[in-house]
Amino acid sequence: MAGCNVQSPELNNVIDIQGLKKSYFLGNLEVPILHGIDLCIKKGEFVAIMGPSGSGKSTLMNMIGCLDRPTGGKVMLMGRDTNAITDNELAELRGFEIGFVFQNFSLIPRLSAYENVLLPTYSNTKDGMDTSGRARDLLKLVGLDDRTGHKPAELSGGQRQRVAIARSLINDPSLILADEPTGNLDSKTSVEIMDIFSDLHKKGRTIVMITHDPEMEQYVDRVVHIRDGNIGNN
Amino acid sequence: MLSLKHSFRMAVGSISSSKLRSALTTLGIVIGVAAVIANVSLGASFNQYFTEEIGSVGNNFIIIQGKTSNLFHDSEMEVIKNTPGIVGVSPLSQEVAEVTYLSTARQITVQGVSEDYEQVGNIQMESGTFINDKDKYVAVIGHDVAYDKFDRKISDKNTIELSFTRPDGTVVTQKFKVKGIVDSPETTFVQSGIEPDDRIFIPIEAMNEIMDQDYYWGYFAAATSLESIDDITDELDKRLARDLGVSSRDLDNEDAKPYALTNQGEILEQVNQLSDALGSLLTSVALISLIVGSIGIMNIMLVTVTERTGEIGIMKSLGFKNHEVLLLFMVESIVVGLFGGVLGIMLGVVGAYAADTAMGLPYVFPVDMIFTGMFVSVIVGLLAGIYPANKAARMNPVDALRHE
Repeated sequence: MAGCNVQSPELNNVIDIQGLKKSYFLGNLEVPILHGIDLCIKKGEFVAIMGPSGSGKSTLMNMIGCLDRPTGGKVMLMGRDTNAITDNELAELRGFEIGFVFQNFSLIPRLSAYENVLLPTYSNTKDGMDTSGRARDLLKLVGLDDRTGHKPAELSGGQRQRVAIARSLINDPSLILADEPTGNLDSKTSVEIMDIFSDLHKKGRTIVMITHDPEMEQYVDRVVHIRDGNIGNN
Repeated sequence: MLSLKHSFRMAVGSISSSKLRSALTTLGIVIGVAAVIANVSLGASFNQYFTEEIGSVGNNFIIIQGKTSNLFHDSEMEVIKNTPGIVGVSPLSQEVAEVTYLSTARQITVQGVSEDYEQVGNIQMESGTFINDKDKYVAVIGHDVAYDKFDRKISDKNTIELSFTRPDGTVVTQKFKVKGIVDSPETTFVQSGIEPDDRIFIPIEAMNEIMDQDYYWGYFAAATSLESIDDITDELDKRLARDLGVSSRDLDNEDAKPYALTNQGEILEQVNQLSDALGSLLTSVALISLIVGSIGIMNIMLVTVTERTGEIGIMKSLGFKNHEVLLLFMVESIVVGLFGGVLGIMLGVVGAYAADTAMGLPYVFPVDMIFTGMFVSVIVGLLAGIYPANKAARMNPVDALRHE
């Protein structure tokens, strides 16, 4: 088993995955999806996880995002072993350390853009953070300061994804986890969204992006290929 | 930690995003709570009405009624008078007489009483004064007798002629001077021998002399208070039984005694039993409605949870804990219930007011029932929400997200 070779004391390793296995069970039948994956992602990296559908990349993303628990091996996030913490602590870890951006934007339709950005803070708030001020700043950052009161249905696809990106940043997470963030967007809008990610990367954000689109390679530092539940050439 | 304020706002947002559905869902609660409120309010109105009615025919009265004619005499009067807790007693006798005034004749019930009857029977005089024990051929007449029965109104100082028929068939006619008119009490509740409106009261000595008899039909007594009236009645029963030679074994056997006792408390109780029976009928209707309403909320909450599976996945990925998702849906369910409860309370209060007004009952505003109604609707919403909210809270985030 080998994840990150050096256990950095400054928590340079945002993600440290060692021998990760994940199987699903159909009755008693075990269906292995991930066969012992090792992966290390350091602070400030912009990594794309690429693979065809059925390769296990979504399962891997669920593992990194602490949405599901491994069958074997371990996932270390910011130095914390996710196997060793309770479901509530896991939820808290998601709330504070991970910012999700989904393919289909995943906004709550009844809430305005501003409220959607603020939503994660209803559950987890960092001490002393001016959440409403930060929500406005983030909407400004993604260029939506004139759309704060709009509901998702009143926004274009690109605008919705910008709201989702602003939401992912509200608790200043250690990791942005984007699952096919441009999958539902046209190419022009896709470029705009990727420009935002590049920008965030330049400001030092750690970003992991799941994609099957080879064109995305140009934006990232590193591509991790996954095929049949195994990591290919890094 | 998810605050109640935020969960409440999200619940209201969710409910108002499907207004018609939420409104229809609350219907069961609305009807249930309205029925409870209206029921209790009407029940209170009825009780107050009956209590006032019965109170107007006497103060804490006990009616002693002989089963045979030649039973009660002056000695029983003394027994009753000397029973502790009895504050007044009047003998009673009753005959139907032909009453003639200015050439009009009417059949009217005439009541032989003593001066104590004024207090015992809660008699209010409209004009003149009530009979006293020195009077002989004087009459006090009821309101209807004075104003409605005859072609011409009778007023005090007028003279009326009463013709009694003795058991042997002889008719005795005697002139009576009207001494006073009894004010009409606001009663429609009739206990035979009590209601003064269409009666004539004369001194019982005069009646017994005319009828050539020396016994009384019964007595009308007053006790010190309604709370102790049952104890006083029991004591009275014991003393009368001893006086009349009824063995103490037969004290509880109503058929063995030559007399019967009824008191105001018992009559009130009978009336209350009646309104309680009506009340429990309405309450069961309300309960069924509330159960149906609760199932309705549960059903709609299950639909909501299923519809929002994807959103639940999003919230969980954003860091919401299971119990926070639970809280969100519980609050939503409770808000739906409470909304129905508030509508139900308004409907119930207005309904009870309308019914009271229509039936001429005193309106009793059930303040405590409003809190009960709120409480019940919250409980209904809470119970209805448990299963759906729990279902939402326990969703696996990965499966829930896949639903999107």
